[in-house]
Amino acid sequence: MAPYNRLVLLAVLALAGPATAAPTPAPTPDVPAPVRAVLGAYCTDCHGHAKAKGQVRLDALPSLDAKVRLDLLNKLQEQVHFAAMPPEDERQPSPAERQVLADWVRGELVAAGAPLIEDKLRYPDYGNVVDHDRLFSGAVTDAPFTPARRWLVSPAIFKERVIDVFGLTGRPRDAFSVNGAAFYGVTNPFVLPDRSGIRDYAITPLDGGHLLVMLTNAQWISHKQIRAARVKKGEIKADFFENKADRFSPPTPAAFEAIILAPAKPTDAALVAAIQAQFDCVLRRPADPAEQAKYLALTRAAIDLAGNTEGLRQMLVAVLLESEFLYRLEFGAGPADVAGRRMLAPREAAYAISYALGDRGPDPVLAKAAADSRLNTKEDYRREVTRLLADPTYYSGRIDTTINNSDIVPHPRLVRFFREFFGYPSALKVFKDKNRSGGYYDNPGRGSSATPGHLIREADRVVAFHVQQDKDVFLNLLTTDRYFMYHNVDNEKGARIVAGWKELYETLKDTDWRNNPEKVEAEHPDLLKKYGIEPLSRRKGGHANTLPKVMEHFSYTFGKGNTPFTTLPWVHGYQFRHSQSYSLPATPGANGKYGGDDNLNYPVVQPFKIADRKGILTHPAWLIAHSSNFHTDPIRRGRLIREKLLAGRVPDVPITVDAKVPDDPHRTFRERVEAVTGPAQAACWKCHEHMNPVGYPFEVYDDFGRYRKDEPLEYPENLVAPAKGKYDADTYKTRPVSTAGDLRGTGDPKLDGPVADPLEMIDRLARSTRVRQSIVRHAFRFYMGRNEMLSDSRTLIEADKAYVDSGGSFKALVLSLLTSDSFMYRK
Amino acid sequence: MTHRRDFLKAAAFGAGAMLFPAAAGRAFAATAPAAGRFPTRFIFMHKGNGLFPSAMVPPSLSAEDKAREQRKEPFQVDLARHELPAWMSVLNAHKQHLTLLQGLSGKMCTTGHHTWQSSLGVYAATERLSSVKWATVDFELAKLFPSPLDHIELACFPSDGGNARGNIEGIERGFSARGPQQPNYAFGSPKVAIDELFKAVSRNDADRVRYQLERKVLEFTAANQAAQADGLAAGLERAKVQNYADAMQDIRRRNGQLEAMSDVIAKHVPVLDRKYLADDLTTVDRQVGHTEVLLSALISGMTNVVTFTVDELGTPYTGVPGMETEKINLHDVGHGKAVGLIKAEDVREAVRRRHAALIDTIVRRLKAVPEGDGTLFDNTVLFYFPDNGETHHSTGVEWPFVVLSGRNAKLDIAGRYVRLPYWGKEGHKTLGNWYTTILNAYGNPINHYGDLDLGLNKFVATQTGPIRQFMA
Repeated sequence: MAPYNRLVLLAVLALAGPATAAPTPAPTPDVPAPVRAVLGAYCTDCHGHAKAKGQVRLDALPSLDAKVRLDLLNKLQEQVHFAAMPPEDERQPSPAERQVLADWVRGELVAAGAPLIEDKLRYPDYGNVVDHDRLFSGAVTDAPFTPARRWLVSPAIFKERVIDVFGLTGRPRDAFSVNGAAFYGVTNPFVLPDRSGIRDYAITPLDGGHLLVMLTNAQWISHKQIRAARVKKGEIKADFFENKADRFSPPTPAAFEAIILAPAKPTDAALVAAIQAQFDCVLRRPADPAEQAKYLALTRAAIDLAGNTEGLRQMLVAVLLESEFLYRLEFGAGPADVAGRRMLAPREAAYAISYALGDRGPDPVLAKAAADSRLNTKEDYRREVTRLLADPTYYSGRIDTTINNSDIVPHPRLVRFFREFFGYPSALKVFKDKNRSGGYYDNPGRGSSATPGHLIREADRVVAFHVQQDKDVFLNLLTTDRYFMYHNVDNEKGARIVAGWKELYETLKDTDWRNNPEKVEAEHPDLLKKYGIEPLSRRKGGHANTLPKVMEHFSYTFGKGNTPFTTLPWVHGYQFRHSQSYSLPATPGANGKYGGDDNLNYPVVQPFKIADRKGILTHPAWLIAHSSNFHTDPIRRGRLIREKLLAGRVPDVPITVDAKVPDDPHRTFRERVEAVTGPAQAACWKCHEHMNPVGYPFEVYDDFGRYRKDEPLEYPENLVAPAKGKYDADTYKTRPVSTAGDLRGTGDPKLDGPVADPLEMIDRLARSTRVRQSIVRHAFRFYMGRNEMLSDSRTLIEADKAYVDSGGSFKALVLSLLTSDSFMYRK
Repeated sequence: MTHRRDFLKAAAFGAGAMLFPAAAGRAFAATAPAAGRFPTRFIFMHKGNGLFPSAMVPPSLSAEDKAREQRKEPFQVDLARHELPAWMSVLNAHKQHLTLLQGLSGKMCTTGHHTWQSSLGVYAATERLSSVKWATVDFELAKLFPSPLDHIELACFPSDGGNARGNIEGIERGFSARGPQQPNYAFGSPKVAIDELFKAVSRNDADRVRYQLERKVLEFTAANQAAQADGLAAGLERAKVQNYADAMQDIRRRNGQLEAMSDVIAKHVPVLDRKYLADDLTTVDRQVGHTEVLLSALISGMTNVVTFTVDELGTPYTGVPGMETEKINLHDVGHGKAVGLIKAEDVREAVRRRHAALIDTIVRRLKAVPEGDGTLFDNTVLFYFPDNGETHHSTGVEWPFVVLSGRNAKLDIAGRYVRLPYWGKEGHKTLGNWYTTILNAYGNPINHYGDLDLGLNKFVATQTGPIRQFMA
């Protein structure tokens, strides 16, 4: 039967809107004459009564239902803004004529309170709308700034803020901050969008969903805040927990304790102290007099109603529900400069810097600099950012707490930029049919991020390695042929383990360990003890290292001239079996058996060279992240390269397009995609020519990331041999894959031209100025939480220069961004 | 030690005589809308440890149908002409409303011991928030039939493994989801459910004070946030605060709606014997208490959708008639371990009997509530199903459903035993098809609800869309 290969394809960017059956109405005063003239001259020939291309008619605007009309005007505004219509081969309106149309459409939309193109431009998909050449031309002299704003905290910052509420430091803090412990009663209300690209933009408002979660969170947090004082008062016993699984018991701030232990109603002074204490815990600032008065009234009323303890707790809850707890505030302060900009207040600056570099609020030095008003100049910013980038401990944490055993690195945010830029963590969201992998690919399940989790972690290591080296970071990440795989111990330890095993194997290989292991055990007790081999007489369970198991494993590894992986395949929870995703031989014993093609020669010293790969774009994690359940995804891969590496833009998928890749048992996936989006389909090709030729070269890897020359044609009629085992793959007839591609319309003449395969294409891209600048643009978005504006030109040029002048230091780039006017000023 | 003979005797009594001392004889009278359509009420009742397909088969099938059943070939029979399996004999009175649906699969779900939101969301949910892909089907239905509380979830939580770890009395992460990465919260005990749901009409001083405090804080924070928003110019920056303030006002409005219904709600506050409100109540009493809350919530109009985790694999099972002294470990039962001298299959049967008795109670009581020209049950659909498929260590190859649907149901399924084509056979249907059918029937035109089964694709032409034969 046909595989499920529904795929949304891009077709012509049409002014998708409803057609009306009505005859052409006479022009009405609803559309002013100058606008009618422009529409009549350039639009209605195709989008009028006669043709209504794309089911759009612009001659019928006055007669449309209000909602339909607004929808159409919205689309019209986008077409005009991006100059996407008329088509290139048609007569074009002059700038003045475009302006007439643009002004009228905008006026209509404003009058109706409808969303405008400006709203859309805030979104990540519209990041590349600002003209790249102009941005880096040096001709723009506008003073850079960021609009004054609230920025919703990230999930990681939210967790750190909760840690701060409880005032945790040292090991208790690390338990939550670094080692993955979760607060039992706290659900993180925030989720970054699932997308391949920069995800944390300051464009999301709080909503009812956040509130529902926070109502529950606030109850739990407030109960915990006062628990210790209630124990002290004798209201509950120290060993009593309503929930046995939730034994968290943080200290109660003194100001709260004073009220809970007070024999009578507290004084106003005591209440004010408690209010200030909660503001400090939650909002990290004092309450101003107006806030203090409001909260005093609330707390007093609540205490009158329910007594000291419960009344106090209501105040704690109310502060926890302040929206400020969930936002980063960046408004600027002080007098405006000639450009109308205000510099971030020192306190705002301290948080902005700290959250740019990590998930935590300012360290004591930065906080003191803010308190002492020493965050007022570029040099002040430079001093603090330089210091914090050199500090290996304060922001140290896991790169990603949602995958198992994510590495701890000094500055996870530096790595996170690249993982968002490349988008490889999305591999976790793509489910695969295990059998098609031949049984090695495990989908994420209970308690395990499984194979994609391992691959993502291994890609993280490549990134972290080059971020740590901090030389030609972009070039190296795009072109390195050295990768990490498995590598669950460092190089030195790995070498020691293997050397020891080798000694064991060489010593015993000629003994009768297979037929008479007890005898060998008796003859070599010290050797076996040294390497943790359990005597057969004392073995427990299937996870123990016994002589026959160890020697059999070594005979299939050392015995074949290979090096075994540094973890033995029978240890509890063993999951290292995905070497095939790197096109390496299978891992001996990984599936509980030996033989066949399990000839992996484990490279102890890593990173190590892997053939037919070049950088992150050929890493299995990236390839899987940008694949579907059953197929590769040349269109999306092409689009991402166009947008991320070439600062290009592909129009949105028209809502009317819902095309499928046709089934054809005789053709490769590329050929089938080409059949519906290729040059023969002129309307589709108009957009697809920007994507497909850039994505096709990656067809040399299958959707598990395996290098291939031929593609199996997975249709029943092509079945050569059915799977032998439960998790084995069927064998199908194959057809050679074509890896030819074409870079065109890149904006850099040196880049344009055909490519034979992905390695050639990547090599060319990696050395391009435009590609470097495109990555700089994305770094800007990551650190500013917004799309660049033309007025950010100076910031981007300086950041690019800082990167180049430093020999490709990403930290130099970050320093430049965090000391830029775009970062420091608000308007 | 519990002996099999005592157990069977007690179980037989229990099955037919589910007693609700406090509620017995109480005449519920829902306030019917003055005019117009009545909302459909949905009850999702799911169990742990799997539901054997063999336990669903009417024993009176013809030899030919038995053979079909053995071969898992599609067929259907009229239940009116057949006996029900013994454990659900208590549902005999509802045969015309009953559907025994076999042959669905759920291989795209997490299966095995614990499954989180999988059986309601049709995706592989785990303990990780990121695995919650979208709103579960019960929440999707709640959107179609809005009510002051939208959705209520009750659970006999596991105390070991699974969703909640330890606090089976509290309000904990449940088995439904409001949306992506938003698991719902469920009430773990009848007491906490009554305290929370009926606090506005509580006669208890402490509850009333608590309710007043909550109102006061919400009023304060809503005004506080609204004042902050007032100072901002219109646009995105204002929306960042205004939306939050509006959400608080929405909750206040919802509370206002409930307060406006307080007379009706007060009439339907579950009146339960103290034992059902105790901290150390048995699992069976917990189920009884939850059932009362479920009925009260539906009849009072607080909600139109209730999800009820009647048990999960990690639920410590106590109070089963004939085994009152035993704390049954469902996991052990799943592995075929006897409880005392009672075989695992008999324990399973006893557990199912309790569930059937609860279903019977729900249906009978809803049939007793007048609504329009009929009863509230006319506008009710109840689903009873396993949270993990066909057995203890399930693979999701089968996912049996017991459905009870009133006369106004928009599904053409009542009164039948239906076996659909087995997994891998042309025409096979998944949980996704089933929920798509329900959603389509009740007004959500979604093309397909749920993840696809990657392994199924090579066997069937398409696995999306509703089950046409069930559309009324």
